[in-house]
Amino acid sequence: MFASRRLAVLQCLDWSAVVAAKSSNKPCAVVHAQRVISRTPGAMRYGVQVGMRRRHAQALCPDIEIVAHQPNRDRNAFDAVVRKVNELVPLIEVSEPGLIVFAARGPSRYMGGDEMMASKIVEALKTLVASELLIGVGVADSRLAAHIAASASASNSASSNSNLFAPYVVEPNKTSEWLAPQSVRVLSEFANVNRETVSLLERLGLNTLRDVCALSESVLAGRFGELGFELHRLARGDEQHQLVVVAPPPEHLCVEKFDQPVSDQQIVINSVQRMASAFTEYFSVNGAVCVRIVIAFELENGKRFERLWYRQQGLTASAIVESAKWQLEASLTSKFASELASELASNGLVRVQLIADEVRVDTARQLKLWGGSTQTDETATQAIGRLSELLGSAAVQVFKWQGGRDLLDSYQLVSATHTQTIGSSDNTEQPAVSKWRGALPTPSPSVVYPEPVQAQINDQFGKLLSVSARHELSASPVTVIIGATHYKVNSWAGPWPVEEHWWDIARNRRLVRLQLVCEKIQSKKTATENTATGKVSIDSAAQVLAMLVILEHGEWTVAAIYN
Amino acid sequence: MQLDTKQRVTELLVKNQLVTKPPVVERLAVGDNVRDLLPDSGLVRGRIVRCSGDAGLSLALSLCSRATQQGSWLGVVGVDHLGVLAAVEHGVALERTVLVHPPQTSREWSVTVAAAIEGFDLLIVAVPARLSANDARRVQTRLQSRRAVMIIVDNATISQSAARSIDDINRSNTFLADVVLDTKTKSWTGADNGSGYLQYRDVHIRVSGRRVARERECLVTRPC
Repeated sequence: MFASRRLAVLQCLDWSAVVAAKSSNKPCAVVHAQRVISRTPGAMRYGVQVGMRRRHAQALCPDIEIVAHQPNRDRNAFDAVVRKVNELVPLIEVSEPGLIVFAARGPSRYMGGDEMMASKIVEALKTLVASELLIGVGVADSRLAAHIAASASASNSASSNSNLFAPYVVEPNKTSEWLAPQSVRVLSEFANVNRETVSLLERLGLNTLRDVCALSESVLAGRFGELGFELHRLARGDEQHQLVVVAPPPEHLCVEKFDQPVSDQQIVINSVQRMASAFTEYFSVNGAVCVRIVIAFELENGKRFERLWYRQQGLTASAIVESAKWQLEASLTSKFASELASELASNGLVRVQLIADEVRVDTARQLKLWGGSTQTDETATQAIGRLSELLGSAAVQVFKWQGGRDLLDSYQLVSATHTQTIGSSDNTEQPAVSKWRGALPTPSPSVVYPEPVQAQINDQFGKLLSVSARHELSASPVTVIIGATHYKVNSWAGPWPVEEHWWDIARNRRLVRLQLVCEKIQSKKTATENTATGKVSIDSAAQVLAMLVILEHGEWTVAAIYN
Repeated sequence: MQLDTKQRVTELLVKNQLVTKPPVVERLAVGDNVRDLLPDSGLVRGRIVRCSGDAGLSLALSLCSRATQQGSWLGVVGVDHLGVLAAVEHGVALERTVLVHPPQTSREWSVTVAAAIEGFDLLIVAVPARLSANDARRVQTRLQSRRAVMIIVDNATISQSAARSIDDINRSNTFLADVVLDTKTKSWTGADNGSGYLQYRDVHIRVSGRRVARERECLVTRPC
């Protein structure tokens, strides 16, 4: 049997909420996509839970502070913690802001046992972070178990109410026994397993990890495919993946030496990007994927900065670049100028190295029938990486179907670097019943204004058009005035009423939509000018413009034009 | 006899690599409904197409749809307010469409577009008001060397869509378009004083540009 790998997990409970809370005594929740994803202990006391709808949270705790999710803010703040821990433990891995994983064996032997190590680290952190923050440390043989233990340790210190810290150590080789009585819900909470899968397990009568373990691997694989193996592995606390024999990539792929010391970050990032794509390419050709990587930067004066990065689904090239970027520059923007960043300014960087730390069989990605994704897909993905580096990830977006009546609702724009499956139709595909009731009839307008343009729509007497409670127009529309431009209405269709969320005061919408076909009224002056010069260009002739106008809260706006 | 000699000389020149053979015209496929509009019955790689006028954006989308379905990627750069549903209805494969919001300064804009050209076969771009001729030329050279196709559209504000401003016409001169498709909606069918809904329109399209042998005009009926 392999020597078991002891892992320690340090978790800062609800890191993003604690960072976001400006005054530590006011309850605060971080909300993403209308759901609470993190909340401060203050909010927790009111019963606010993760996964709750924003409205529900506000009902439980009326003076709760709602903050939008900003991954960058969390990261930058977390960098101080990472550096502090790094002083005590050499090689640590940051999975996400608020979570640090490292191999426990060495540090705990040095510091005199797991408990001693944990309390030393937490002691060091106490000076650094807000007192409200709950820190937990868990040590176990598997990542999942250590993570559960860490969060148990954190919430223990919360319930004891004395801020007494106690690490949770699962004894060596007892991890599978310890995991067995845990509910299967921990899989979705700590191991990124899909919530639906977990609910399916429950409906199948598998309520604890013991039940999952009791089934044979092949049965699970028969039902869930590759995920079945993964579930079984997680449940029995054995995360040693199937060994894969891939020769380490040749040196020219994973080491870049600079003859001239470099102190410009952009150059470093560019070369990391080049290496990363060759690096991942190398593994994928061999049917493997790198899940853990060490990125090392070496300076001219011989100092070496390295950090470990892990991603369960495997590190893509863009993930490696993002990690390297985080390692290099996230600390620049934080209050404490990072050691590396300041060193970089004075001593140039001479060497970048990528070391594959853990490699496993690439099973997660379904390639296309004829030999993987095409060349164009790859170059496009690279270009997306390059563009998001140039402009920031928010400026490069792809589409995701979400459905809705409004023109802007039906597709969501998501940042391209945050989606795993670029180029597959999973995200953009409409479900079979694609047409929403109350959606506009096709064809749809090709120009949609996110912020509608003010307009004035009058009837023949120059009176503003209105709509009765029964959705009847007060008269036929005759003129449209947008800014200083006047239009004559040729024909129109509608009104089509939309009533959404009538049960919710904050979100309810009541509006009426009209399609108008208009013609610009030439002001007399320009018309005479044109005839005087004898120049009748294509623009001045009658031109028809179709638009979609909306009446909401008694105001007419132009929402879209059929360009 | 004379013709024979000429032919032989050409052959010898080609054989000894003194001149290169005329390159094969690579083109991206377009849908049947727009094929007749284009001079080479397809989007020739390395060229610039300009879709102007009040049906410009929808025409640009329908030019792109077939190519994206066949695996090409489309980058939409700096086009504000793109109606996504319209793109879907024109048949653009959204899974291979990327929306890019570039900065509006001339230098940064051209760097962004150049980076997009590196990765995508097709681009729909809206050109910023103050693009320097130098930067435009740089983009065009990159486009030709990477064999991508750039479709220029106007960013439609409401006032512009009815009548083009002088600024707009200046902008069209920064890039020398190979094919210019100037559109002008004649009439809409479907809406009838309260009943019905917009269904299709008659668009007057003028095809010109430096790669178009003879300028021509045609009237087409297009859904949207």
